Amino acid sequence: MAVDMRLPTVKNSMSLSVSAAGRKDLVVPGDVITSDTGFMRGHGTYVDEDKLTASVAGEVQRVDKLICVRPLKTRFNGEVGDVVVGRITEVQQKRWKVETNSRLDSVLLLSSVNLPGGELRRRSAEDELTMREYLHEGDLISAEVQSVFSDGALSLHTRSLKYGKLGQGVLVQLSPSLIKRQKTHFHNLPCGASIILGNNGFVWLYPTPRQQEEEAGGFYTSLEPVSLSDREVISRLRNCLLALAAHKVFLYDTSVLYCYESSLQHQVKDILKPEVMEEIVMLTQQKLLEQES
Amino acid sequence: MKDTPLSNCERDFLLKAIEEKKRLDGRQTYDYRKIKITFGTDYGCCFVDLGQTRVMAQVSCELVAPKESRPNEGIMFFNLELSPMASPAFEQGRQSELSVKLNRQLERCLRNSKCIDTESLCVVSGEKVWQIRVDVHTLNNDGNLMDAASVAAISALCHFRRPDVGIQGEEITVYSPEERDPIPLSIYHMPISVSFAFFQQGTYLLVDPCEREERVMDGLLMIAMNKHREICSIQSSGGIMLLKEQVMRCSKIASVKVSEITELINKALLNDKTARKAGGRCGFAESMPQERITALKMDQTSVEMTDVSETVSSIVQTAEAPPQTVPSPLVPVPGVGQIGEGLRNTWGLEEEEEEEEDDGESSGGDSVAEVTKMEKEQHKDDKSRKVDVVEILDSDEEEEEVVILYPETTKKAKNTGSGQKGAATSRKQQKK
Repeated sequence: MAVDMRLPTVKNSMSLSVSAAGRKDLVVPGDVITSDTGFMRGHGTYVDEDKLTASVAGEVQRVDKLICVRPLKTRFNGEVGDVVVGRITEVQQKRWKVETNSRLDSVLLLSSVNLPGGELRRRSAEDELTMREYLHEGDLISAEVQSVFSDGALSLHTRSLKYGKLGQGVLVQLSPSLIKRQKTHFHNLPCGASIILGNNGFVWLYPTPRQQEEEAGGFYTSLEPVSLSDREVISRLRNCLLALAAHKVFLYDTSVLYCYESSLQHQVKDILKPEVMEEIVMLTQQKLLEQES
Repeated sequence: MKDTPLSNCERDFLLKAIEEKKRLDGRQTYDYRKIKITFGTDYGCCFVDLGQTRVMAQVSCELVAPKESRPNEGIMFFNLELSPMASPAFEQGRQSELSVKLNRQLERCLRNSKCIDTESLCVVSGEKVWQIRVDVHTLNNDGNLMDAASVAAISALCHFRRPDVGIQGEEITVYSPEERDPIPLSIYHMPISVSFAFFQQGTYLLVDPCEREERVMDGLLMIAMNKHREICSIQSSGGIMLLKEQVMRCSKIASVKVSEITELINKALLNDKTARKAGGRCGFAESMPQERITALKMDQTSVEMTDVSETVSSIVQTAEAPPQTVPSPLVPVPGVGQIGEGLRNTWGLEEEEEEEEDDGESSGGDSVAEVTKMEKEQHKDDKSRKVDVVEILDSDEEEEEVVILYPETTKKAKNTGSGQKGAATSRKQQKK
C-alpha cells in the first residue's frame, strides 16, 4: 500500500490580495472598537469603562449609530426565508425536532409538511400516529425557515415540492458563515451533480435526478443505484468543498464550480492534501477575481 | 449542549461491522482497551485511563459522628461527577439520568459488597467515626465510564492512608502524617465492574464498548465481581431481553477479566509503593508521556526569482505538452486492471550488473553509467508490464523525491524513476 510521507514544513499561507474595497474591520474578543460614547451597542459587544469592546471574534458592522460584531465562527442564526438542511432528532406529538446546527433544535410542525399523496386536507389523529412513517429519527430533510420563535428556535416548513426528505447523497458539515446568501440555494451543477447549499452550513450533494418527478410531497426517495461516474463527481465536489472551507472562501455555485474545474488535474483523494488544497484554492480565487473585474 | 446526532450511515456501518465481528479499533469481541493506572503524589488520588476514557478518583477522610442505627461503623460516601470536560453533552451541576445510574451502580458495587471493613473505621463508638469520601471525576468520555470509575475507586481506596489515631483514656489524638505514618484502610476484596453491550436485541455482545458503540447499542449489562468469583452486583439497562445462558456466559467472561484487572491494580500499587520507598519522583506529572514529533523540520527552500520571465518563456517553448491524467484503468483481460505501464523489474537486472561492474570506480561515475544503461535496456524492452514494482529505498536515501507507483506514461516519469533506481542500485553496490 502506498504511504505518502513528508517532513513537517513551516508553511507561509499565501492569499491573493483582496481589493481595497473589501478591507474588513476584524476584531478579536477584548479589542476596543471605539471610545466614542455616541454609539449604540449591538450583538457581540459590551461596554468596558466607557469603551465599546468586542466580545466575539469577527468583523465590525456599523449601521448608522448601531455597532455590532458579526462572529466568524458561530452557530446558525436563522432568518425567515433561509434554506436549511437538517436531521430529524425527535418525533413528538404533532411535530418533529430537527437539528440544524443552531443554538436550539428547530421545529417542523406536522401542519407545515406536504402529506404524501399531495392532498390538501386537515391533519387527522391518524396522521399524528403515522408521523413516524413519513420522517423518523436520523432522516435528512431540506426545508425553509417559516418563522422564528421568541426563544430563537426556528420553525421550518417543507410546503414546496423542492423541499422534503433527502435521498442518496453526501452531507458536508461546514460553518454557516461561509455560505453566501443567494437567490436560490438549489443548483444543478454542469459537472453532473446537484447541490443544496443550506444556510446553516450543511451542504447536500446528490446525483441529478433523471426527470423531475412530481413527488408525492417530497417524501419519495429514489433508491436506484448511483452510477460510478456520478459517485466520482460527488466525491470530488465534496473534497473541493472541504478545500474551500479550509481556506475560508465563500461558498456559492460559481466558486464551487471553479474549484471543481481547477481540481480536475488531480486525483480525487489528492485534493485533501494541504499543498494541493492551497493550489486549487488559489486558482479558484484567481478565476473569481477575473470574473468580478 | 446536546450531542450531535449520529448519521444513519455511521450507525449502519457500526452495526454491520459488529455483525461481522469487527470493531472500529480492531479489538476482538472480548478484548478490553489498554488500562493505565497512575497515582498522584497524595495518598488516595488515582487516575485511570481505559483507552481514551479518563477518570480520576480522590479519597479523603474526616472525623464525624456516626449514624444512629450503626454507632460503631464508619461511613462511606460515594460521589461520581460527570463534568463537561468529559463530553459536551454533560452539563455542570445537572443530575442527568446517566449520572444517577452510574452513582447508584458505584454505590452498590462498593458499599453493598462490604469490601471495606467499616468497623475498623470506628474511633469512639457512638461519638467519632471516620467518614471516607470517594469522589470520582470523569475527565474524558470515550465509552464505558462505569468500568473506569470502578477501577479508579477501588484503586484509590487501596492506595489511601488515613491518619493514625491514639486514644488515651478520654482524649483522642489524631496524629499528622509527619508524626506517625498513616494507616491503609482494611480492604477485604476488590470488586470491579465489567460492562457488556448488546446489539440487535441481544444477538451480539461486546465487552468494553467505546463511545460510538455505546451510541448504537440496545442495552448494557454491568456485572461487578471480585477475583474470588463472587458477584457483587448485576445491573441490566436498556430493556433488552437476555437469556439465562447469556447472563451465565457473561459472568464467566467477567471473572476472567476481573482477575486480569485485579492483577493490574496490584502491580500498579506495588510499583507506586517501591517508587515512594526509593524516594523517586512519583505522581501524576511523572506519568504523562511526552508526545513530540521527533522528526526534523524541513525549511522551505528559497527559489531563485531573478530573471524569471526569460527562463520561463524558454522552458515553455522547449517543453512538451503536460501529461494527461489517466481517466480510468485499462482492462486488458477481464479481472485485471492496469494503470500506467509500470516500471521494469530490476531484480534480475541487479545480478547482471554486479558481474559487469567489478572495477572500483567512483560512485558518481557508477550512477551515471548505470542510468544510461538502464535507459537503454528499458527502451529495448516491450511495454505493457502489469507488474507494479514496489521500491523499497534504502534508509540512507538522501533524495526525497516521491516514488510514483503508478507513473504517468511519459518519458519524464521514467527518467526520474530510473534515475532513482540507478542511484539506489549504486548505493547497494557500495555497501557490498
